[in-house]
Formats: sequence, structure tokens, C-alpha cells
Amino acid sequence: MVSKRHFLLSIACIATNIMFAQIYIASTCEISFSAPTPIEDIAGVNKVAKPLLNATTGDLQMKIPMTSFIFEKPLMQEHFNENYVESEKYPYAMFKGKLNDKIDLSKDGEYKTSVTGKLTIHGVEKDRTIEGTIVVKGGTIIMTSSFKVTFADHDISIPALYSGVIPPDAVIKFTTQLEPYKKETKN
Amino acid sequence: MISSKKMFAACSLFLFTLQLYAQDDMLKLLDSVDAPGKKYKSERTIATFKGSKIINVQTTETVKKGTMDFNITHNFGNIGEKSNGGVHTLYGLDDISDVRIGFDFGITNDLTIGVGRSKRKELIDGLIKYRIVSQTTNNHFPFSLALYGDVSYSPQAASVFYAGGQPEKQNDLHRFSYVGQMVIARKFNWRLSAELLPTFQHRNYVVGYVNPENKAEENNDLFSLGAGVRFKLTKRFAIIADYYYLFSEYRHQNPGFFDPLGIGFEIDTGGHIFHITFTNTSGIIENNYLPDTTDNWLKGGFKFGFNISRVFNLGGKKKWNK
Repeated sequence: MVSKRHFLLSIACIATNIMFAQIYIASTCEISFSAPTPIEDIAGVNKVAKPLLNATTGDLQMKIPMTSFIFEKPLMQEHFNENYVESEKYPYAMFKGKLNDKIDLSKDGEYKTSVTGKLTIHGVEKDRTIEGTIVVKGGTIIMTSSFKVTFADHDISIPALYSGVIPPDAVIKFTTQLEPYKKETKN
Repeated sequence: MISSKKMFAACSLFLFTLQLYAQDDMLKLLDSVDAPGKKYKSERTIATFKGSKIINVQTTETVKKGTMDFNITHNFGNIGEKSNGGVHTLYGLDDISDVRIGFDFGITNDLTIGVGRSKRKELIDGLIKYRIVSQTTNNHFPFSLALYGDVSYSPQAASVFYAGGQPEKQNDLHRFSYVGQMVIARKFNWRLSAELLPTFQHRNYVVGYVNPENKAEENNDLFSLGAGVRFKLTKRFAIIADYYYLFSEYRHQNPGFFDPLGIGFEIDTGGHIFHITFTNTSGIIENNYLPDTTDNWLKGGFKFGFNISRVFNLGGKKKWNK
């Protein structure tokens, strides 16, 4: 009988854990990329993505609408969407991964960590481990990271005329502030 | 009494599925949070055409807000020998049928105004294009619609302007001509975009010539229907063509007049668009070529042409990323 009670207890624990798994959602998020060329910077910024983090399991997921990258030059934005990332065919970039370190996200502090998961851009999935920093402060989590995406990895072709002008990869800067997710009340 | 073993198995199975569900479904949660009602919100179709013209016809594309498009369009002379081309003019390259220098400004993303000056008839023109609706990616709205208008003034010397017929009284208003049209375009898929342009043109002054075939007289008003198409062979290389059918008794069966027809290639280098065009029109803007296309494709009466366009951002360095 002892064992049965033990089981029930542990199951109850796990269940509570899952049912009340603390999910965090971005209140702000900024994803910028830049690929400098001798003539001009090819750079865009996206502020509409809403990354999600499961603080219990360490799952980090996000879905990034490609047409929401804003460029300095509108024409550049059109080329980006039409010719390079082909937003009509592949409207979203995705990341589904998991934190590699067990971090107690209820405690304030600064942690260096990494996530491993699948990064999908231009319809091409790629296994990636990306390093970054997590800062926990008063119930909010700030994640920052800087990493490179190689165009060829995701079948994004650079026209021959621009090979050697446009660098083979872009630097991605990622920063997001996450807050506990509350079910939204219907207005 | 259920054995604890069975219960454990059942519970763990349940929890296991739950766990999977919980992990996988974070992004489903996102769908509900991300943008309430976003499923029904549609995005504008981009790049139905490249640039504000195909070859001769306007497109539904406008100049983007806060930018200026400086463009030079150039039509050489006829290529064919039967139409004064051939080797002695290096297939028309020695001649200039028309050159137009234009400046177009994006007032909003849907409203463009512009000015230009053409060699042919020394035409000075002002244009306005307003896109009323855009096609959307989920076909919530199936096509784009723009209105286009152009007013032209010809400052030619009176002897040239009135050549062929003298009016009782010369009037500066004679020198104006107007064109108004609807541009209805649809991007069917990444390869194919097509459009139709019901068009009306009015010239304040015309010489009352008569068609020798059917005795119809030249008219100030000219109705026409334009059509244009772009077909991409690869991501960056397309065939383009456009055509106007002229509803004009005077021009119908008239050996001196032909419907404007252009055929060309569009090369997207990734940053710039090059149009290499062949057209039987001499003029570059509607007020020039609609009433006055007198060359016949079948007799080599088509010209090589090109268009250079450079877009500048106006208003200095804006904090675009803030």
C-alpha cells in the first residue's frame, strides 16, 4: 500500500507540474538581421514575433512572420520578400528548441546558456545550437542572443552578380522580454 | 480493486500524452495569442509587377512612400530595313524615337505623383496614380485596382504643332491632352501576373484627317483597352508583353496606324530591374503613343528600348528601425 500511495503522490506532483507548467510569452521581441555590403547595409528588423518559453521544461518556440521585417529601403524589403526568402511560399521562420541548462527561472540572476533545436527559414530546417544569455528579474525573463545564419544552409540563393558583394551569412540579433502567460480575456 | 501497477501504467500513459501535447502546442497557443483574428486578416500581394510600367502600359505598382523614382526611358529607331532601319542605322541604334526623363514621388504607398518630359512632341506631362485596392495573399480580395491619369502639354512651335491643318484660331488649350485609365491586375502565382486597362484619351486639338479605307474621321476622343502580362521563366528572368486595342474607326484598317504592341525581357539582378524591350511605339507615354503608333511590327517597325530607374529615399535618415 505504501508503494501505491507513493505512486499516486508522484503522479499528482507531475500532473500539477504539467498543468501549471509556467509558460512565458514575449511582451516585446526584436529580431534584427544585417548583412553589410560595400554599397549599403542590408538590414531589417522584426518586432512582431512572440516567442514562447516553457519555464518548466525549458522549451523555447517561436514563429516569425517574414513579411514583418522592416527595412530602411522599402524596395529592399520587397526584394527580400520576393526574391530571397520568398515570403509568399514560406511566410514564417520557425524555431523549436530546448534550453540546454536547467535554470531556475523563478530566481533572479543572469545565466549564460544555449538552446538546441530546429531552425526553419525559407522552408529549410536546420539543427542548431545557439548561445545566449538569460536575465531573470522580478518575474520577467530577458533573453538575448547573437548568431549567424548562412544563406546557403537555407537554400537562399545570392544572384551571381552579387556573390562576393553580399556576404554568405547574416548576423541575427535577438532580444526578447518574456512575461508569464495569462489567458486573455475575451473583449 | 485496480492494481497499482495498472493504474500507474494508465496514468503515465495519460501524462505522457499530456506532456507531448503541452510541448508541441505552445505554438498553437501562439495562434490564439499572436494576433487575434489574424487568420482572417489578409496580407497584400507584393510585386505583382516590377516597376510602374511593363513596357508601354502602366501597372498597379506605385512608388513607395517617401521615395522618389528617377527614371529614363529610351526608344531607339526601327530595327527593320523596310521601316528605315537596317544596317545603315545600325538597326535603329542611330535614331532616337523618344526619350523621357521622369520623376515620380511616393506620397503614400498607394499614391504616386510624377512629372516628365519627352522628346517626342516636347511633351511635358504630369501624372497621378492611385491604387484603390490591393490583391491579398489569401484571395480575400482577388485583384488590384489602380486609377491612372496623365495630363500632357506640348510646347512645340506653332508651325510644327499645327502642321497639317490650321485652326481658325490658335489657342494654348489645344496643346493639352489627357489620358485616364483603370488598371486591373492579378498575380495568379509567382510566375504569372496579368492586367487589363480600360482607357480613355482626349486630345483638345486634332487635325480632321479621314481614313482612306472607311471614310471615318479622326476624333478627339479615343477609347482603348490595354493588356499586359509578365511570365517568369526563372525567379529572376521573365518575359513581358503588353498591347492596346484601339477602338477607333479612323484607325481601323487605316494603313498608317497600328495597335501598340511591346514584347521584352525583364531581368532582376537582385537589386535592380532591367527591361529590354521591343515595341512598335515611338512615344513613351500614353498621350504620345496611343494616337500615334504608325509603325508595323510585320515590316520591322519595332524599336529596341530600355528603361533605367533609380529609387532614392527622401527625407534624410529616418530612424527606420526604431
